[in-house]
Amino acid sequence: MAVGSAGQAIQASTPSRKPRREMSDTRFAFLIGLPVLVFLMLVVAYPLGYAIYMSLHQIVFFGGYRANFVGLKNFIDVWSDKSFINAIWITLRFTVESVVLTMILGLCLASIMNQRIRMAGLVRTLLFLPWCVSSYAAGLMFGQLVRGQTGILTTISFTFGGTQGVDLMGRATVVEVLAVANAWLMAPLVAFFLLANMKTIPKRLYDLAAIDRLTAWETFRYVTLPPLQFTLFVFASITTVLSMKMFDMILIMTGGGPGTASATLTYQIYKRSFKDLNLGYGAAMSFYLLFFILGATFLIYLVWGRRVSR
Amino acid sequence: MAKRSIFLYLAIAVAIVWSIFPIYWFCRMAFLTPNEIRLFPQPFMPQVFEFGTFYNIFGYDYEYAAGYVSGASGQSNQIIRGVLNGLFISSIVTVITLLIVVPLAYVFARMEFRHKQKLLFAVLLAVALPPVSTLIPFYSMYVQLGLNGTRFGLIVVTLTITVPFVAWMLIGYFRNLPPIERLARIDGYSRTSCLLTLILPLAKSGIAVAAVIAFLFSWNEYTYALVLVNGTSANTLPTAISGFLGQYPEPGNLAASVIVTIIPPALFAYFLQRHVTEMSLVDPVR
Amino acid sequence: MKRREFGLLAGTAGLALMSGAGRVLAQDMDLKPTSGETVYFRGWNFRTDVVQANVARYNEAMDGKVDYATVTGDYPALMEQNLMASAELDMFYANPSSACRYFDAGWVLPANELPAYAEIEAELYPNLKDAWTYKGKLLGLSYFASTRGTMVVNRKLFEEYGFTDADLPKNWDEVYDLIYRMKDKGIETPFLPHWFGEWFGISWGFVLEVINRGGTIADAETHQPTITTDEDGPYYKTLAAWKKLWQSGMIAQEVFTFNEGGYIDAFASGRYVMSPQQIYDIETFNRPGRSQIAGSCSLVPMGDHPWGIIDSGLYVMSNRERSEALTDDVKKFVSWYGFKDQDGKIAIAQNWMQENMLFSGYKSVMESPETAERIKKAIMRPEDYDAILKIYQNTPFPKGIWSVVWSEEFNPFLKETLSSFLFDDGDIVETLEAMTAKIEELNGKYGI
Repeated sequence: MAVGSAGQAIQASTPSRKPRREMSDTRFAFLIGLPVLVFLMLVVAYPLGYAIYMSLHQIVFFGGYRANFVGLKNFIDVWSDKSFINAIWITLRFTVESVVLTMILGLCLASIMNQRIRMAGLVRTLLFLPWCVSSYAAGLMFGQLVRGQTGILTTISFTFGGTQGVDLMGRATVVEVLAVANAWLMAPLVAFFLLANMKTIPKRLYDLAAIDRLTAWETFRYVTLPPLQFTLFVFASITTVLSMKMFDMILIMTGGGPGTASATLTYQIYKRSFKDLNLGYGAAMSFYLLFFILGATFLIYLVWGRRVSR
Repeated sequence: MAKRSIFLYLAIAVAIVWSIFPIYWFCRMAFLTPNEIRLFPQPFMPQVFEFGTFYNIFGYDYEYAAGYVSGASGQSNQIIRGVLNGLFISSIVTVITLLIVVPLAYVFARMEFRHKQKLLFAVLLAVALPPVSTLIPFYSMYVQLGLNGTRFGLIVVTLTITVPFVAWMLIGYFRNLPPIERLARIDGYSRTSCLLTLILPLAKSGIAVAAVIAFLFSWNEYTYALVLVNGTSANTLPTAISGFLGQYPEPGNLAASVIVTIIPPALFAYFLQRHVTEMSLVDPVR
Repeated sequence: MKRREFGLLAGTAGLALMSGAGRVLAQDMDLKPTSGETVYFRGWNFRTDVVQANVARYNEAMDGKVDYATVTGDYPALMEQNLMASAELDMFYANPSSACRYFDAGWVLPANELPAYAEIEAELYPNLKDAWTYKGKLLGLSYFASTRGTMVVNRKLFEEYGFTDADLPKNWDEVYDLIYRMKDKGIETPFLPHWFGEWFGISWGFVLEVINRGGTIADAETHQPTITTDEDGPYYKTLAAWKKLWQSGMIAQEVFTFNEGGYIDAFASGRYVMSPQQIYDIETFNRPGRSQIAGSCSLVPMGDHPWGIIDSGLYVMSNRERSEALTDDVKKFVSWYGFKDQDGKIAIAQNWMQENMLFSGYKSVMESPETAERIKKAIMRPEDYDAILKIYQNTPFPKGIWSVVWSEEFNPFLKETLSSFLFDDGDIVETLEAMTAKIEELNGKYGI
């Protein structure tokens, strides 16, 4: 049924014959891959090294500015910090909601765009527009949209005779508002890759499905979805990473508030480094975030990716 | 059939409203008078559509039909420079990213070799680094290297974001392509010509989308640009706009500039989405 | 060249020409740079067009080489990085609390080193001079000074519901009484508290109210905490009043996520009757075409105490390594820009007054006829002019927590503590004790 897996089966069973005078796959791969990785490492190494250095030191002001070595103190202190634990939960909630919403929305949008419709180019471009909006601008937009002072709900409420603002920027809903905004922003990206993938599904399979009189849902479930599995997995990982790293939208939209209701890990790191000017502590926190991001992607790989990437 | 198409068009309408409305609600402010912007509750739409704020952000005064003049914005220099720099930097980043990433993704997706997992992990690590924690280190490194406020510096930083991300996306995409080059290689194609003459045309859609994504990442990059180049001759549009956010808010100009930031990527996306087309080859797996 | 910029340039240049033509050139020579090296000037992003025009005027008139650019993002944090890296930086903006921190790190050349110091000192209002002096040194020159927490009143709504001048509060207790009376008369949202989402929002809201009520938070000299948990004390009373206000449900949660622009625009929408605001924003609220309450925004005059605290910015000179000739040039530029130009006029400060009604620390600017005219254009009633000047000249400064190296670190703590106090119905005494503990911890950290 699934052409992808069928193809991979062939791929696996075909013995790779190497014509003479050609380098091995490994050497070819290294030739292409290594320079890129070296570039990335070089550019990232200094900031990373600096961050490690900072996380092990504390800054002293009097008698000239200098840093004192404090060992793992920052890494240990983090765990007795209530705001850090709180931030982990908020990040988790925000990320799970964002990813689930983005995947569902992405599939919906891609399915719509995959239909034969008039002015398909225009429709696609319109549906793609949210991804053209930068995350800070999305923060501005959704902030404007849901606040009681400026929001659409207030306008609607007054139109129907209401007298009070309708405000979604409360503690109960702020994380959901952020997740919706985030999904709004990321869904077109997912949708377009899914669409590109859907286009690689041979039409023959749909013809067969029609002959078998599958319903629209069955066709989607058994013809469209299986070859998308791997892309879905990849984008679940990507949106997880993007959500856990999301910062400028949150800063502009809610500033971590109200109170600390939307203070994610990125926000706490920012607050420690930029507001408390405690770079060491902020750096220690950001290594935990890095660890969580890697952990989350591995988890997704273990429970899902391993199955679909074979 | 008729029922299906009604349902379909309804779905399209909902999807379009969902995608457009948040943008509309904010960007409508570009056409509201400063006084209307402070109304409570906010009006659904402007009374008159005049393009005064667009004149203002590009440095010209504008006289409204109602008789008052809105002055040119003090940010206009930075806005204009931001547009030009943004186009320049994003184009370069897009080209370099594709040159690097397409072969890279191809290799990772289609070949088996030793240390592959480790190298993939390195890519993942680069993706996973949150900008908020590397921002200060980058800043101090750039201050020391004298790269602050240069377009070259911003291009380098942006590449560290686009390359791993786009690579990751394309790897997934390439894996799903039919394994055509296996057959071709049996026929004696070299690895390189396989990539150039067979895979590239086949992967057109994915590469087009990747180009759009690289362009957008670069065009919209805010966190690094704000710190590394804003206020200098290398500033980009998003950071120039942040000037409207501060203690001297001008929501009308802000909205107008946000519209300006959306136009180039939207055009870019419009022209490239056409390449997301049906597969042109006969199904090779038979 | 953009029209606006051209207008500004032409305006300032014209002004310089007219007033400068007859004067002797002695001072002119004094302010001319000699080293031929570039002087670096960095600031945050506010009306860069005006700053550019000012710098261009200096470069033209004095044959100078001043390089101006903005530093954006998080200004204090990035400026600290610049100073740490000994970046090319000669004059920069700073708030007094950041300036103290930089001073302790050894990065600041105090204004006492300027040749014109005695004259500058004589020009400054005493409350401002005191706010800007740290360990006996003047940290920098006046960029702007404002009263944050001036109690502004939307007279339109105020009078519509039958309130008069006699109802205006004289102290914070009366403010809260009035709020509940307004609510009882049917005003949905009588008060917009200083609880917005910026780092200077809710934390400064607490500081200004406590200081107005006679508190100090920490000792001005020793920086030891002075917070009491006594029920009649300023600290307890402030938090008790806040708790009651929050639990009345009158304040929407969105207020906690407003940025400063949102906070200003919310009041400009005419929804609220009273709010502690920046003193110069009275101009914004009264500007026709930009505000729903234009022409009807007044302020509560000074009662038992002034309203608000000093919020100010300084031009600070850096102490980086550079040639002596260049250091002289820096001093000349700082003097020209932050004090008097070659014609002996405090031109830059006066220009800010005309452009954005930014108040200055200098008496001769604040009491000049141009300033009087400028302020009168921006206010609702003539008597507001005196009310503004009186409040401005008497505004206190929380020296105990702001003239100290850890000031910037205490502030975000206060922000988080106060919002969770409200949201989680925190205990007043425990919250105050947590503040005391934090100050002690910070003092311990820096060995104070």
